[in-house]
Amino acid sequence: MRKILIANRGEIAVRIVRACRDLGLASVAVYSDADRGARHVRMADEACHLGPSPASESYLRIDRILDAARASGADAVHPGYGFLSENAAFTAACRDAGLTFIGPSAEAIELMGSKTAARGAAIAAGVPVVPGTKDFIPITASDADIAVAAHEIGYPIMVKAVAGGGGKGMRTVHVPGDLPGAIRAARSEAGAAFGDSAIYLERRLERPRHVEVQLLADHEGTVLPFVERECSIQRRHQKLVEETPSPSVSPDLRARLAAAAAAVARASRYTNAGTIEFLLDEDGRFYFLEMNTRLQVEHPITEAVTGVDLVEWQIRIARGEPLSLDAGQALLPNGHAIECRIYAEDADAGFLPSPGPVTALRVPAGPGIRDDGGVDAGGEVPIFYDPLISKLIAWGQDRAQAIARLRRALREYEVLGIRTTVPFFTWLLRQPAFAEGAFHTGYLDELLHSRQSRPFSEQDLSLEEVAAMALALELGARAARGETNRSRARLNDSSEHSFVRTHTDRQSAGAGGWKRRARIDALRH
Amino acid sequence: MDLETNGELRSVEVRSSGNASVITVDGRAVEAMATRLGGRWLLLVAPAAGDAEGRPDGSGAAAATRAFRSYDIAIADQGDGQFTVLVDGRAVEVSVPQLRRGVGRREESSSAGTGPARIVAPMPGRIVKVLVKPGDEVDARQPLVVIEAMKMENELRSPRQGRVAEVTVVEGALVEAKTVLVVVT
Repeated sequence: MRKILIANRGEIAVRIVRACRDLGLASVAVYSDADRGARHVRMADEACHLGPSPASESYLRIDRILDAARASGADAVHPGYGFLSENAAFTAACRDAGLTFIGPSAEAIELMGSKTAARGAAIAAGVPVVPGTKDFIPITASDADIAVAAHEIGYPIMVKAVAGGGGKGMRTVHVPGDLPGAIRAARSEAGAAFGDSAIYLERRLERPRHVEVQLLADHEGTVLPFVERECSIQRRHQKLVEETPSPSVSPDLRARLAAAAAAVARASRYTNAGTIEFLLDEDGRFYFLEMNTRLQVEHPITEAVTGVDLVEWQIRIARGEPLSLDAGQALLPNGHAIECRIYAEDADAGFLPSPGPVTALRVPAGPGIRDDGGVDAGGEVPIFYDPLISKLIAWGQDRAQAIARLRRALREYEVLGIRTTVPFFTWLLRQPAFAEGAFHTGYLDELLHSRQSRPFSEQDLSLEEVAAMALALELGARAARGETNRSRARLNDSSEHSFVRTHTDRQSAGAGGWKRRARIDALRH
Repeated sequence: MDLETNGELRSVEVRSSGNASVITVDGRAVEAMATRLGGRWLLLVAPAAGDAEGRPDGSGAAAATRAFRSYDIAIADQGDGQFTVLVDGRAVEVSVPQLRRGVGRREESSSAGTGPARIVAPMPGRIVKVLVKPGDEVDARQPLVVIEAMKMENELRSPRQGRVAEVTVVEGALVEAKTVLVVVT
């Protein structure tokens, strides 16, 4: 393997370019019209244009991506996450074109892509699943038949899309009367989103936590599970904050989660990187939820506490290397890591998308901080793709230190031009339940609902802060007019146009003015 | 001149003398020095001394050495007298009434009143669905247009009962934020 084509964009494409470079491999970026000047294109060694901006005409075009691989002479393809990463047909097409696909086999993707088949695989591996229907509900099933099945499972019930993901095609039902309507709505949504309207039923657990186990598996049958990630901070089923280890998992539970995850992976002859998601109930029982057959967005927190470069290992496994990592170490976290997903969204406007030009960007640094970003100052966040612009990861010796560092880093984080979720995270990290680690998957939605729509950033300003802002605004306006402090006369002339009424102190040539200036000058040294 | 933040109108005056300035906010004066660093500002502000009140030149509390508060500031001009100011990373919305170019220039969704209601795009995006046509009678909260950006769909509803006077977009169109999409009278 010498050259890897990265069939993705944004921060994850940048992450993969870095892994290629660390391994001495060449990288090929692909891009759409909207991404012509994007960071991943500039960072990669080579770049191939795919087509127009919509993903369906660029990043989802298997034929165009294979053309790009041929044109560049790439011998391997890394799919990243999203787009074609869990598309078995793409994996098979890469294989048929003689390219190494950096990920699992098409068969494993196919198996885990069906939620009901994946549940079956977990049951076969002796891993508990959330009580539910064994298979999808046939379209011919009568309302009465479905009601019987639902009664056996017990309410509240979740109606879920077999091909589901991202909260689409999902409905919660509390009373039997609402079931037929919810099934119709979920079928229609799933059909539109995934081209497959099949749904199944599952019991809705009350106040569960979402924990997941990252694993690596090589081609010799070695499966290596890692310390769990806690991903319960979600808004409408979308993860916003992830951390590892989970504040609610004991070493004993950790070992059992890891064993269960490894059993599912072995039973499905899984290879490369994957993640098994579990729900953890209030009594510490866990249930298999699904398997993600790709690199996860939140993989850096695992890297932070284990020191393992997961993307590098994906590549090494794909080129046939056996795993040579210490299994004990993978389950013994060094310290604590937390990730915030920085989205181009206006949290104050109900997390409304906020695409557009990024006029200024300063990312944090310092002890324990990692920023995996995909945009630059002067760049643009297009309307066509996912709003994730960066992931901010903090590592600390313990959870408290990780939180303190994250708060410090959020304060250093500056983005202008677009709105981001930075003010929201600053607010979230101050919540007592977050500090205590006492939350569940519904926690954030409940909290957001209860606080109505007050702004997330603290808007109260001290006298000094108002003065500082006013002076910066005034001097900025003067600079914009091409004005300097050259002449007092000019300043006086322009004071009428100035939006801050400026006075050149006519008496400042006198003793008071000079004294004041001298004093301030003295303070600068 | 005035600055409006957090719904509060603050009256501000700036007097510059060389590097240093005296800023009077609602009658209270503080001294500050500004240094420009590329697109951003470093502001060193002397803490408001208790006796500075009523001394607009701020020349009170003379001391050989004082610690200045340090503020790291970046400004995004949103146009029409609106600014987003980052104060130590904290985003503050500031409006300068003197810089507004007349009232009503910005298109806003108007829900109250009897005039035409303009439904505007809340964000840049692509029009996924247009659910009404001119002449349609619509109820309050009836969906009019679905706009999509970054894989998120947003349903725009009529602010009130009325008749669709105008539809300015077609399905598939890309629109900027604040573009008028539908007018309901």
